[in-house]
Amino acid sequence: MRALRAFLARAFGVFGRARQERELAEELEAHVQMHVDDAVRAGMAPDEARREALRKLGGFDTTRELVRDRRRVPFLESALRDLRFAVRSLRKSPGFTAVTIATLALGIGANTAIFTIVHAVMLARLPFQEPDRVVVVWETNVQRPGRSNVVGPANFLRWQARATVFRSMSAFYDFRTSLTGSGEPEELVAQAVTPDFFATLGVSPLLGRTFTPDEGPDGRDSVAILSHALWQRRFGGDPEVVGRSIVLNRRPFTVIGVMPAGVGLFLKNGSLVGKPPELWEPFAFRPEQSQPQGRYMSAIARLRPDVPLEQAQAQMTAIASALTAEWPQFDTGWGIRLVPIHDELAGEMRPVLLVLFGAVVFVLLIACANVASLLLARGTTRVREIAIRTALGASRTRVLLQLMTENLLLALCGGAFGLLLARWGVQLLLALSPATLTGLGHVRLSAPVLGFTACVSILTALLCGLAPALAGSRTEVQESLKEGSRQGTSTGRARRLRKAFVVSEVALAVVLLVGAGLMLKSLRTLGRVDPGFRRQGILTARVNLPSSRYKEDPEVMRFYEQAVDRIGALPGVRAAGAVSFLPFAGLAAATDLVIEGEPTPPHGQEPTTEVRVCDNGYFPAMGIPLRRGRIFTDPEQRRSGNVVIVSEAFARTYFPGKEALGRRISVEMADTNPFMEIIGIVGDIKHADLSTEVRPMTYYPVPQLVYNGMTLTVRTEGDPAALAPMVQRVIRSIDKDQPLSDIRTMDQWVSASMAKERFSSFLLVLFAALALLLAAIGIYGVMSYVVGQRTTEFGIRAALGAEASDIRGLILGDGARIVAAGLAIGAPLALLLSQALTKLLYQTRGADPATFAVVLCVLAGVALLASYLPARRAARMAPVEALRHS
Amino acid sequence: MTEKQDVWQGTLALMVLKTLETLGPLHGYGIARRIEQTSGDRLSVNYGTIYPALLRLEQEGSIAFDWGVSDNNRRAKFYKLTRAGRRRLDAETREWQRTTAVLARFLAPKEAGS
Repeated sequence: MRALRAFLARAFGVFGRARQERELAEELEAHVQMHVDDAVRAGMAPDEARREALRKLGGFDTTRELVRDRRRVPFLESALRDLRFAVRSLRKSPGFTAVTIATLALGIGANTAIFTIVHAVMLARLPFQEPDRVVVVWETNVQRPGRSNVVGPANFLRWQARATVFRSMSAFYDFRTSLTGSGEPEELVAQAVTPDFFATLGVSPLLGRTFTPDEGPDGRDSVAILSHALWQRRFGGDPEVVGRSIVLNRRPFTVIGVMPAGVGLFLKNGSLVGKPPELWEPFAFRPEQSQPQGRYMSAIARLRPDVPLEQAQAQMTAIASALTAEWPQFDTGWGIRLVPIHDELAGEMRPVLLVLFGAVVFVLLIACANVASLLLARGTTRVREIAIRTALGASRTRVLLQLMTENLLLALCGGAFGLLLARWGVQLLLALSPATLTGLGHVRLSAPVLGFTACVSILTALLCGLAPALAGSRTEVQESLKEGSRQGTSTGRARRLRKAFVVSEVALAVVLLVGAGLMLKSLRTLGRVDPGFRRQGILTARVNLPSSRYKEDPEVMRFYEQAVDRIGALPGVRAAGAVSFLPFAGLAAATDLVIEGEPTPPHGQEPTTEVRVCDNGYFPAMGIPLRRGRIFTDPEQRRSGNVVIVSEAFARTYFPGKEALGRRISVEMADTNPFMEIIGIVGDIKHADLSTEVRPMTYYPVPQLVYNGMTLTVRTEGDPAALAPMVQRVIRSIDKDQPLSDIRTMDQWVSASMAKERFSSFLLVLFAALALLLAAIGIYGVMSYVVGQRTTEFGIRAALGAEASDIRGLILGDGARIVAAGLAIGAPLALLLSQALTKLLYQTRGADPATFAVVLCVLAGVALLASYLPARRAARMAPVEALRHS
Repeated sequence: MTEKQDVWQGTLALMVLKTLETLGPLHGYGIARRIEQTSGDRLSVNYGTIYPALLRLEQEGSIAFDWGVSDNNRRAKFYKLTRAGRRRLDAETREWQRTTAVLARFLAPKEAGS
């Protein structure tokens, strides 16, 4: 304790030095004077007395020096001196300093940027209370292992009644609604939630209140809570918004609350809308929903404080088994899975981010190797300086500390610039990243990120500085100071070290290039997958007719018939149609079916099909070919004729080797499901994204099942996006209050489905390019250095008759050996690490021979080019000049 | 700093503390003189070495100082014991006595032990 106190006093002794010195002088002067006074009183002559006093004191300046030493910490003093010296010495070689700091800034910046995202997505706390107590409840089906399925309301009600492991369970579903009244009519995504939803999630409103338990049933459901974003965007952040009346789906609602920024829950696996919700409405289960029919909701639950996840999962599994026994027709083959909410939200991006983080660490390692190599080179030019300092009495530790201070200064500067780069990098990443990533709270440079950067900088200094500093401080004074000696004895070791650094750079670059190559190949393979429709030249727009205004089916049908007719008549339009669920735009309806004349399969193994409602125009608009049979007739499009069209996969799966046309099926979409005749077979299309398999599909004509929300599809002659204003005008001409949403080309939808793949491959390619560049610089540097070292030797060789090509060959051979060693280490490493990528690849193996071959060739080429330039310089040097060089 | 000096600094510190306890607030010159006199001039060292010792005791919190005026009207730094210093003096005195007692027994003539 006393020692600590003394240390702090000394450490702070650095400050207020002038005053301390003044006081010390005054104190010592008083001392001497008192001594003189005493001596004079004893009868001594004043002059002699003063001399005696000073002698007894031990000298004025010596005493001051003694006190000064005690005043401060010698270590801190010398560290400050080292720092000043480092600044001066680095400023003397601006080129070296700039290159080093830039290299480190790139490495550290890239790491910080990726870490910022990783932190936000995987490590940061969700804005909920005790978020680790919240789980998402999914149903699972044995036929689709590993996939999360939405929840049936009847099942949910039973779970809620029976489960004892949860404090509360809430259900919700996303839907589209329109906001009219103030300003442009706008379509919004809303979330209907059971009233206790916010309590389960663990959030409190920023303004107003959440729903009360009696809000939800018809007549008591006209209240809404706004998201922070919507509040800002549509209501200008009006603090008086609570209590205001707004019009949603043409019905008046009262705003009762506003949620804080970043609060909301968007489950990609459960949303039929595919976009994060912007407002909440309450709902209550209707009596008929307690009957087992259909799955279309999502559910969350909050665990009781003392219940571990495993226990909750065990109870829910038991409940699922019981339900299978009670409702075999509905629940056979179905189970329940609890997923911690953090895993659910971060799950999709986690493998991508881990791979990117790994890649970016490699980039930093390569940057470190380069900087270490530069430091070594600098060390050899400073051998004399260090030898002199050693000769003057500096210990090896002092020299080492001095060199490490320089390295730390470089790394911290690199870190500071890296932070700047990271700020831009994060903006870039967010702009590029798939929507699922940005949906997760605010991503920004925060305290943990700054701490991360500081740690990485210090680690970098140690990593790239220690070996060169050790090599540099080990100087043989005598050798280095000998007249004419250009370099000390440590250079042999330094040369070997530099080569080792370059070999490891090449090896690391191989790994990154292979990774990038595999991702690119996978992306290209995926991009070439035929979705089953012609993705170019299609405009799509979502219409959602409010049921308050379009109450009867005929009104809805008339609206769409008019819309499709008028759009089809627009100039430049080849075909127009409407469909209930557009492919590549989110989840859609799928259900069981019964085939007439086939034996009833056991429960849980019923045939299933995707179900779309569309008109005849949909097929030509999308470019889905009719394979056999016919499309709907006009009467069939007006009035239900119990006919359907199916996909080839449907015919292949359920009527293998048999005629599907003319057969009748009953699809369990509604309460009563008549048998419908298959009249046509069309081509298969991918629905969710390019990588998932095609599933059997059934197309209903519109009157069979009327949807208020449909997506218009328009095939155009020219640029589809240019047609958007005209389509909008057509819709306004039919109903001036009707908004359109998601106005996008089909190509955009397909592209968006590949956003994650594009994001990760773009970044990997970027990192690999960076690695390649750094490795090339490293090779160039070390080869230039080798040439410089061997200039005399080349001069002698040339004088003895060696051709320029011989000398070039010597250097290139040297370079080739380094590269070959790097490749030999890198290739197996890449083979090993590419296994980690397999999860992210589409129909591409980790050990893809073509990718490896291309990568090795590219790297060898670049490496040889990097060593060719110094080789050419060596070969061009005249013998005389080379000899004089020594 | 060599080991010898450390021992000297340690004993010097104890002597400074004891002096301040006996005489009350005192300036560096007075402390030096007092130590010299008490030791019977056998401890003849430079007065200057007292100042780093005083600074160290001050940094460790055992003593504090005020500016005051000496008997012959000179402005001087007057050092005084703090409460921590007083405790330290007690502890180190006891420690010192124990050590000397052990050493005395150890170095005593042989017949005393049996």
